[in-house]
Amino acid sequence: MASSLNKMIIIVGFISLFHSAYSAAQHRSYLRITAQEFTGLPLDIVVQAVTSLFAVMWGVLNVAGNLREIPAGAELNATKWDTQRNLPSFYIFNHRGKALSSQYIPASSKAELENLE
Amino acid sequence: MTTVVKTKDLKPEPAAYSEAALRNNGAVIEYCRTSMAALSGSTAGVLGLTSLYGFAFYIVSVVVLYIMFMVKTGPNWRKYHISRQALLTNSFFASLCTYVLFWTFIYGMVHVRKRSMCMACVCSARTEQQHTMQ
Repeated sequence: MASSLNKMIIIVGFISLFHSAYSAAQHRSYLRITAQEFTGLPLDIVVQAVTSLFAVMWGVLNVAGNLREIPAGAELNATKWDTQRNLPSFYIFNHRGKALSSQYIPASSKAELENLE
Repeated sequence: MTTVVKTKDLKPEPAAYSEAALRNNGAVIEYCRTSMAALSGSTAGVLGLTSLYGFAFYIVSVVVLYIMFMVKTGPNWRKYHISRQALLTNSFFASLCTYVLFWTFIYGMVHVRKRSMCMACVCSARTEQQHTMQ
């Protein structure tokens, strides 16, 4: 929700910045037609440009991503004991215990496989 | 005989930082800095700033970005940044290059480029001007 708000800020700020650029160009061409000297932009264009710049900067700052905490233990502190002991590398799916079952069918031995050919 | 305690020996214990978090924060800050340089360069071009005013505007926008970082992290900035000063000065000149690039480009687009004007506008403006001169 906050992210979409920031995206809206960025989009509106960009449009506003573009509009102020267009206004500045219009003002410049008006001065050129009426053969006046350029002394400075009107105050409203300046205010609009600077305000939209700050708005877009704030939006970009929030959209860029979250800062993570830098102390080394910060993220380990958040994990619980149950997940701490959970080591996926040591999972066992297949072991000798299944040979004790009554329905166990032993795999064909290597010697039998060789005799087939 | 007096014992001299060197201040060097009284350094605080080194703190351990998470490498991945540091790199992530650095990337976020770099992204913001680059965007800030491009955007403020465009704004400086729109405003038609020249010479030292443009560089002053760059410094102002760097400081504003720094203030925004401080506002975002709040009082516990130590959790996210090793040094507050590095936030202000890191890659200052690298972003300045981006800034100047956008500044000159947008300045040229807005203030220098001669756009084709409709003749009616030119004629009406000229006659208006002549009237005022008379």
